Amino acid sequence: MRTPVQMSTPPAQRTYSWSMPSAWWTRKRHYLLYVVREFTALPMALWLLWLLYDIKRAGSGPAGFYPSRSVFFVIFSAVCLVFAMYHSYTFLKLAGVIIHVKVLDKPVPPRVIVFMMFGLLAVASIVIGAVLIGFAR
Amino acid sequence: MSTETRKRPAYAHLFWWFMFANGGGLAALVLPVHILVQGILGPLRIVPVVDQHYDTWVSVLGNPIVKLYVLALVALSFFHFAHRLRYLLVDFGLHAAKSVPAQVIFYGGAVVVTLVTIWVLLTTAPITFG
Repeated sequence: MRTPVQMSTPPAQRTYSWSMPSAWWTRKRHYLLYVVREFTALPMALWLLWLLYDIKRAGSGPAGFYPSRSVFFVIFSAVCLVFAMYHSYTFLKLAGVIIHVKVLDKPVPPRVIVFMMFGLLAVASIVIGAVLIGFAR
Repeated sequence: MSTETRKRPAYAHLFWWFMFANGGGLAALVLPVHILVQGILGPLRIVPVVDQHYDTWVSVLGNPIVKLYVLALVALSFFHFAHRLRYLLVDFGLHAAKSVPAQVIFYGGAVVVTLVTIWVLLTTAPITFG
């Protein structure tokens, strides 16, 4: 039974500290895809670092230059390509939400903006692919 | 004295969002074709690719437009990557990733990669307009 003193003392304030469950991202498919989307940055960064290394090798002269043709590199690139394509899909799909454009005082529908972004992806891919292949011998 | 708060443009916020959004956009538009052509089709010799031969690779890298393009691609992308990976760590419960030292490490890393890219591009192939 409480004494009068205890009854008059207000309960000590306790801070509620919430912590995220460690495996929260495995609980729903949506969470998992979100984590995969954010993770795409790592393989893309690694591939760009390889591109820098590839560029730097060209500075060592023709005698020290050798093209990357190993199976390991092709597998590494294939894995990076999957993540890069997922990044492209998710990022360009968001364009309809982020970009707001008006034409003749009328807002362009989000699906048109998304369509245009994927069209831009196709054009950029063709142009860059043509340069990378066309300037080879 | 007026108590009205003077609104100032958030230039730092603007800068980081500019780098994040444009880095993500540029990587989304051009990175897949680079990986496909230079990382898979070229090494498998399905198609000829500029970086598979020394002379063509150096010739392309000497072009100032190509140098600027590579710099923009790497620099903007790495600011995007830094932001995403930092917040991924926050999402995984590592609250230290929100701290100023973490910001210095991640965005500073992007700055370091940018400086390395400039150095690589300036020291690899001489600039030619041909």
